[in-house]
Amino acid sequence: MIPPRHTRYASAWLLVSALVVGAGLVVLWRGTSSRPAVTHPRRLTAMVRSEPRGFNRLVSRDRTSVTLTHLLHGRLVRVNLETQDVEPALAESWTVSDDGRTWRLALRQDVRWSDGTPFTADDVRFTFEAVFDPRVKSPLAGALRFDGKPLGVAVEDDGRVVRIDFPVPYGPGLRVLDSVPILPRHKLGDALARGTLASAWPVTTAPADIVGLGPFVLKEYRPGDRVVLGRNPYFWKRDPAGRALPYLDELVILVVPDQNAEMLRLESGEADLMVAEVRPDDLAAVRDMAERERVRLVDLGVGLDPDFLWFNLAPSFARREPARAWIQLPAVRRALNTGVDRQALVSGVYFGAGVPVYGPVTPANRAWYDPDAVPPVAHDVEAARRLLEEAGFTDADGDGRYEAPGGGPARFALLTQKGNTLRERAAEILQDEAAKIGLGVDVVALEQPALIERITTGQFEAVYFGFQQSDTDPAVSLDFWLPSGAFHAWHASQNTPATPWEAEIDRLMLEMVAAPSAGERQRLFSDVQRIVAREVPALWFVAPRVYVATSPWVIGARPSVLQPMILWNAEGLDVRRD
Amino acid sequence: MLSFFARRLLFAATLVVVVAAGALLIVRLAPGDATAELYGESGGAAAIALERERAGLDRPLGEYFLSWAGRLARLDFGESFRFNRPVAPLVVERASNTAILASVALVLATLAGLALGVVSGSSRGWPSRLVSGVSILALSCPPLVLSLALALLAARTGWFPVGGMWVTPALSSPDAFARALWHLVLPVVALAVPVGASIERIESRAVRGAMGEPAVLAALARGIPRRRVVWRHATRLSATPVASVWGFAAAGLFSGSFAVEVVTAWPGLGRLMYDALISRDVNLVAGCAAGGAVIVAATTLVSDLALAWADPRLRSGGVRSATAHTPGSGLRQHMPAGSVLRQHTPDATPAASQPGQPRGDPRSEGQGGR
Repeated sequence: MIPPRHTRYASAWLLVSALVVGAGLVVLWRGTSSRPAVTHPRRLTAMVRSEPRGFNRLVSRDRTSVTLTHLLHGRLVRVNLETQDVEPALAESWTVSDDGRTWRLALRQDVRWSDGTPFTADDVRFTFEAVFDPRVKSPLAGALRFDGKPLGVAVEDDGRVVRIDFPVPYGPGLRVLDSVPILPRHKLGDALARGTLASAWPVTTAPADIVGLGPFVLKEYRPGDRVVLGRNPYFWKRDPAGRALPYLDELVILVVPDQNAEMLRLESGEADLMVAEVRPDDLAAVRDMAERERVRLVDLGVGLDPDFLWFNLAPSFARREPARAWIQLPAVRRALNTGVDRQALVSGVYFGAGVPVYGPVTPANRAWYDPDAVPPVAHDVEAARRLLEEAGFTDADGDGRYEAPGGGPARFALLTQKGNTLRERAAEILQDEAAKIGLGVDVVALEQPALIERITTGQFEAVYFGFQQSDTDPAVSLDFWLPSGAFHAWHASQNTPATPWEAEIDRLMLEMVAAPSAGERQRLFSDVQRIVAREVPALWFVAPRVYVATSPWVIGARPSVLQPMILWNAEGLDVRRD
Repeated sequence: MLSFFARRLLFAATLVVVVAAGALLIVRLAPGDATAELYGESGGAAAIALERERAGLDRPLGEYFLSWAGRLARLDFGESFRFNRPVAPLVVERASNTAILASVALVLATLAGLALGVVSGSSRGWPSRLVSGVSILALSCPPLVLSLALALLAARTGWFPVGGMWVTPALSSPDAFARALWHLVLPVVALAVPVGASIERIESRAVRGAMGEPAVLAALARGIPRRRVVWRHATRLSATPVASVWGFAAAGLFSGSFAVEVVTAWPGLGRLMYDALISRDVNLVAGCAAGGAVIVAATTLVSDLALAWADPRLRSGGVRSATAHTPGSGLRQHMPAGSVLRQHTPDATPAASQPGQPRGDPRSEGQGGR
């Protein structure tokens, strides 16, 4: 018997509904039962914010590619991010000539690439050929040229020694090799010969084709989702007990672009560690998670890269905007230096997780921080107002807001990065603090590309922003310190130093770079810091405290304030078994 | 029919080129470029110069645009600066990921929205009020907030994963398939809830309107059971407005939801477009815009076909009528006048089903079904 039509329609709806609900239940049940075990032995899951641009470090310099380079590739020497010292890697020892320009590195013997091929000095020679090949246009080449000349690399002693010749004296010495991954000639030699090395090893490369000397090998890359790394069976390093490293069988790196989602994954146990630090905004929530033993929170101390405020000190600005030339008066910078309550920034921006700083080098930079060279500046609003009045600022109408020496309100536009909540909040607090000493601030938040465009073209009055350091040695950041540098924020790319004190910084920095002894270099850099403290070319207010979070079962982590924070020592990471 | 598709293809091709070129020009003219992230890094000054040269960003706008247009003629959208990959396969890959989410979300939203809309539109008791209330709540909840709330629930309970995509190996084993479905739960729910609520609201109003149509009243007067009249006839009569909106909803879903994809770490088109815009990746922005334009063109076509299926008056006027239809711009101006008259004239009692009658018209059933 055929059922009536309406019964059939109702049945169809019921069937569809039952299927949907049933599928949902099955999915939930299956999903729950097949959920990956978070305490899987020898497997950890880390998170990065963005996808790698490629697996070829010669051309990819984004943060994720650099992190993967740490994991997949070996270097001759590496900077221990915990101690900030250079330590052996593929080169097991070295000697240096008296003039500090020639280094002889003894290569570790019986090292094999991840595909089993023996590693030789020829691979080192190939790597430097590739870096300096003009067709590759590697960004690494810039850091390996000195006075316009490339680093010299030669093989000696029947391939057991690599000689490195610096064209000029260079104080940091082998530190510069930390960023150079040694690449396999047997895999990439043809690409270099054909001139296609720049496009080699894109993210679409088959994992087996990517061969390295690092602790891990690429097992799988799912674009936009994850990178799965496996243990390199040929990795050369052993722990003090003689056990082969790395301990982990698998390291999964998830791409999680949103920090809120990152925190949720950490809390749920889907991920074990973050590659970046915990935001101050999330600190309270992470502390709560730590109290519930869902995560382990590690305080790494003060960060290396405090944001800072700088004015446009280029003479061209004063010529272009004569009515605004007062922003270049030293009194304005000194008044802000003493008039801004740094503790207000510590509380309002970092929720207490920060420390006041008075110069660009923070206590985190153990080798180069000199508190005697940069003494603390007392917070004193009245002193700040006196400084401004002595410089010709007046308050004719008695409203508490100064008029500039040339007339007109003493207001300036402060550019900062839109979307960076720390910088946006800091700019607002600086606006309030500046108002207390009679200066007006108009905060303008711009997207990063637009902000950088304004900075590099000199179209700004003042900026609140920050740079990220890749090394603690200031000689690596000459673009910032030298007046001729592109990142000499307050007056970039000067042909000749515009002021006597900048000429002095220029001279001291060049001497510091060339000085062979560490003590002499530190003394010279302390002098540089003294000039900065005296002239206040820019204003540093607060350095954040840096925290990282891991799941409770991660062991062997030796986190650093420098990137990649925990994964720099991934071969020592392990999973707690209890 | 052939000319219909030819016109559609021409329209789509024009749309893609215009949208992509417009996006490229806007991003290229905006201050700053993709090398901004290198500013301040050690060795960054030299790297910026090299990267600008590599990406062609050091060339004048006109030269850059002509070069891009020349490649576009060969369907080459160039290379992404951020991802260091050709744009076209990247967009296709991410659009496929988005399509997986969008398809499941659209099916669920449509089924649930239609069913609940019929329930709330055809009754006046507590079910109607309950459904309406929940729908309004769902509509007023931004996708970002909903995604985060669901993710928080997932993190706290562990019932389903916070995010991630397990679709690629879904067909490798039953377990992988189940895991793929399990990973779909959060993003699909976050996407489907607001769309389902929209469909429910529109369907509810449409059914309520259809229940007052003379044809439906006539069917009820003839003693056809109410449930049958509601679910068969009123639902069919109410399909037109839903089909119109459905096209837009589908276009929105298939173009990718930035909020949901970012929170759930789903590598889809919305997240890709966001990444491209943030990093001023000129070629990728143009490619994503082109991808979005293709999706809009395709979903509009499907929507028109659905309209034609739901309302035979459009078909009786030929596909041309459906083609000329722009959702929300006045459907009836394209309809044959006679069919409108037949539909809305209470005393029209045709002796037999006519070509211009809707399939669900109860008059035909009234004649032969009892």
